[in-house]
Amino acid sequence: MPRNLPEYGKIAIPKEREVPLGAVTPAPVRVQKLHITSPWRIYRPVIDHEKCTRCLNCYIFCPDACWEYNEENDEMELNLEFCKGCLICIQECPAEALTPVHELEFEGGVVRLDNPF
Amino acid sequence: MATEKMLTGCAAAAQGAKFAEVEVICSYPIRPYTAIMMELAKMVANGELDAEFVHGEGEHAQLSVVLGASAAGARAYTGSSGVGVAYAFEVYSPMSGGRYPVQMAIADRALDPPGDFGSEHTDAMSTRDQGWLMGWACSPQEVFDNTLMAYRIGEDPRVLLPQMVCQDGYFVSHIPDKVVLPDVSQVKEFLPPYNPPHPLDPRKPYSHGPQIRPDQGAPMDAQRASAFLEVPKVIKEVTEEFNRIFGRNYDPFLEKYKLDDAEIAFFIQGAHANTCRKVVDKLRSSGVKAGMCRLRWVRPWPTHEIAEALAGIKAVGTIETSTSYGGAMRGGNLIHELRATLYDLPDNERPLVTSFMAGLGGETIWPKDFMYMAEVLSNMVKENRTKKYVYWIGLEPEE
Amino acid sequence: MKDFDYKYQTFDRIKSYRNAPREEYYVPGHRTCAGCGPALCYRLVAKAAGKDTIFVGPTGCMYVANSSYLCTPYAVPWTHAQITNGGAVASGVEAAYKVLMRKGKYDGSFPNIIVMAGDGGSVDIGLQAMSALMYRGHKVLFICYDNESYANTGIQTSPTTSYGANTTFTPPGKLIPEGKTLFPKDPPQLVIGGHPLVKYVATANVGYPTDLMNKVRKALSYESPTFMHILCPCPKGWKFDEKLTAEMGKLAVQTGLWTQYEWENGEYKFSHIPKKYKPVDEYLKHQGRFGHLKKEHIAKLQAFADAKKEWAKKAAVSPIEVVAQVPAG
Repeated sequence: MPRNLPEYGKIAIPKEREVPLGAVTPAPVRVQKLHITSPWRIYRPVIDHEKCTRCLNCYIFCPDACWEYNEENDEMELNLEFCKGCLICIQECPAEALTPVHELEFEGGVVRLDNPF
Repeated sequence: MATEKMLTGCAAAAQGAKFAEVEVICSYPIRPYTAIMMELAKMVANGELDAEFVHGEGEHAQLSVVLGASAAGARAYTGSSGVGVAYAFEVYSPMSGGRYPVQMAIADRALDPPGDFGSEHTDAMSTRDQGWLMGWACSPQEVFDNTLMAYRIGEDPRVLLPQMVCQDGYFVSHIPDKVVLPDVSQVKEFLPPYNPPHPLDPRKPYSHGPQIRPDQGAPMDAQRASAFLEVPKVIKEVTEEFNRIFGRNYDPFLEKYKLDDAEIAFFIQGAHANTCRKVVDKLRSSGVKAGMCRLRWVRPWPTHEIAEALAGIKAVGTIETSTSYGGAMRGGNLIHELRATLYDLPDNERPLVTSFMAGLGGETIWPKDFMYMAEVLSNMVKENRTKKYVYWIGLEPEE
Repeated sequence: MKDFDYKYQTFDRIKSYRNAPREEYYVPGHRTCAGCGPALCYRLVAKAAGKDTIFVGPTGCMYVANSSYLCTPYAVPWTHAQITNGGAVASGVEAAYKVLMRKGKYDGSFPNIIVMAGDGGSVDIGLQAMSALMYRGHKVLFICYDNESYANTGIQTSPTTSYGANTTFTPPGKLIPEGKTLFPKDPPQLVIGGHPLVKYVATANVGYPTDLMNKVRKALSYESPTFMHILCPCPKGWKFDEKLTAEMGKLAVQTGLWTQYEWENGEYKFSHIPKKYKPVDEYLKHQGRFGHLKKEHIAKLQAFADAKKEWAKKAAVSPIEVVAQVPAG
């Protein structure tokens, strides 16, 4: 600038505060690891495989897609990382194969977030 | 082969969109811009243009439809006027923040109340801080050219911003003038196909626009602001290339008319520049050193270019074809930014600045009006002082 | 231009839970409440629709609670829309695919385009955009996931909120003892009643997952716009025990407060009609939002349910003449 006018300056966004262009982010694959929801859980559904009839009610009614049928060992599996403990699966289980157990009953049960958001 | 045609501003915009091979168009009728859509509807109906022509249910929908189309990877085009521009307001920021480079043609019209078909820049000027590129044309030829240039600039990966290509209602939109239409090969050389980084494509899934935390807000805003730091560079490059390919002679940001040795100058945007130029000639022939500076882009505002162009001029008057009720100078919008722009000039080079409310509600600005303004500016030079911030042309109390 | 031969997807009928696709496209890891009805709905819709899908998500619970902090649970392309304009944004996406495929710029089959709008985004502030989409005939499935309130802003009344509900905008008080005094809008009837290009409208309910998924698939197999109204009980807004989400859906059907039907080319087909309806109180008693209701208010809701049952009976045997249909051929 011949007249020494002020510059517009530059903006430097620090690495840890960078945001994707236009807030367009890659879609998650299988799970969204950035939102682990297990710390919400107060009661954990515990399955009795003997009583379970593999009707898949728990699987189909879970809002968080936490139940999966493992074909190899013919058992239902719970994704403990994301189960929020709503207990819909227990309500919908026709075989009484599921029971709610308080998280405090488990070693390393209730996990609280270090940084709640 | 290039051809020459008599076209209105609206017809020129439609031709521009056709040469740009827009893929999704969304219409809603409002005068005066609506003639653009009428032209495009014919082109689509006749098979001259392979595009989806969507009848929006309002301007808000128009912007929303083209946002979706752009997100999915199509070059999208829409437009509006007056209160229609206002009705779409919610979508302006999502469009620029999402970095969707759609184009919106605007034939400027006054806002209500009461209903007024007349030309006025208040519609588009009200949206000026939403992150859009905003350019003003003063002739059908410039409308056509800006349509192509704006797409090229907005779709540049360094920019990715939506564009408003504005023209004055009626004065440009409805008065035919000579327009040189290029050969398709020229446009092909100038404007590559739209190629967004992450379109909504099931083969490569992306999420567009999830919520953010407060600490991510500033970086998001800064991202758009940074794009605007890049834009002037891109505008310069693109204008030069446009001039080369199409044989034009545009200055990227400003039309500087007889400014070099001027003592007084008009600062203007849009169609009234055409009258203004003639008055400058007349003033010159009677010994008044007058000049004109016309804004081609309002966003980004060409701060340095304006300061350099107006440095040393004694008095400048902005022609305000939009309103800013209760604003710093109680008149229009341009004076605020112009005064801020000139603030850092050395004392001996900083012009006195006043403003003229003129061409509101569709009124013509007559040569006699410009002559009156010149007199005000000359008196400011004589007295070496700005007596008033704003003069309402035709409505000033008698002295 | 009109003769272009678009490649569309086809779908098989889901016969059982085991038969449903195992892949999830609405994946675990979102901040919806425990037991969220709309989240369950989203998951089932995504499962039924599959990989080749684009979601348009107007603002609402399913935006705010799902897509937080620059990450989302949508494994397929998804875009936010304003709460006002889900229908319009989806129209744009669809129009883009039409022209891009025609021009040879996209060679896959036509993606499913699904709007997931809440009740507000469908039939209140979003009504204009939804109706225009239906009118213009875009190949889009518009889903109204109905949790009967503006839930993410703190449970305010919406046009689909039940009569008698206690919401933060309809608190019961001395002068207005029943809380909400108005009866709800009927979203599917709004669509059926005046959009000549719409051939398929259905209601569904998270209490009946297979039915829901099959209706989604049927809707997606149409080349014209389709609409689904899906009841999504909301533990927080309705104030019931979160494990009862699916149960609430079933009870709504068993009491006649919700009717499961398909409307296809002018004909109604009802399902899940109970042999004997339960009194509405069986449904209301689980929900804190109705806790303040007196006998006379409950009687009104019972009358409302009875009228619905009557309507269903009539509609099932003698299809109601649909006016202004597009002439065949």
